[in-house]
Amino acid sequence: MNKLLTILLLITLVGCKTVPVTVAPPFPDAPETLRASCPDLVPVSDDTTKLSDALQVISKNYNQYYECKIKVDNWIEWYTMQKDIQDKIGKIK
Amino acid sequence: MWFLNFIPDSLLHEFIIIVLAAGAGLYVIGLLINFIPPLYPYKEMIRIVGTILMVAGVYGIGSYSTEMVWRARMEAAQAQVEKAQVESKAVNSKIKVKIVRQTKIIHDHQVVVRTQIQHDAAKIDANCKLDPAFIKDLNDAAKNPLSGAQ
Repeated sequence: MNKLLTILLLITLVGCKTVPVTVAPPFPDAPETLRASCPDLVPVSDDTTKLSDALQVISKNYNQYYECKIKVDNWIEWYTMQKDIQDKIGKIK
Repeated sequence: MWFLNFIPDSLLHEFIIIVLAAGAGLYVIGLLINFIPPLYPYKEMIRIVGTILMVAGVYGIGSYSTEMVWRARMEAAQAQVEKAQVESKAVNSKIKVKIVRQTKIIHDHQVVVRTQIQHDAAKIDANCKLDPAFIKDLNDAAKNPLSGAQ
């Protein structure tokens, strides 16, 4: 009887069995501004004869490049910061 | 054990303790039953029922403890997730504000340069007439070679 009790009590240890649970927070949405793609460069009109007109278009294209650079730089920063936040969650034991 | 979620914790804990105590009590009675002659015919049944209740009680205590530990961990994890979501939104707000500020600086600079070009247009155009080849070459350089490509 005592042996049976011992075996049965050992079997009850399955009550302490644990099942691993993964915590998966939703991936955050990036700001709308970052998700818009960069536009193509503006061409100079074929009938342009003045250098100043061409220069205006070139200047506008430079401007577009810097606006696109803002997006890329901020994408990198956004990703780095969000990854840090996500990595912290992954460390829960 | 999913069904444990539907039973109040305190009630469940008390029930498990009662089952374990009843099992232990019956088992002890089963051992001492030789001193109680009227109960002697029920000796085996009392010991079996006592054993079953004890086993169920120990199993219950194990399950209950594990359940409580996991609930505590899940609450901690949930709190971390909520905190991360708040931090994530803060990052988005910070980035949005930064983009607006930087875009304004770029735009303001562009306005200054455009005005400057308009101001200097007469000087720039005085000795220079553009050849159509210049426009073609410039536009070819500005063309995105990937547009239309997969």
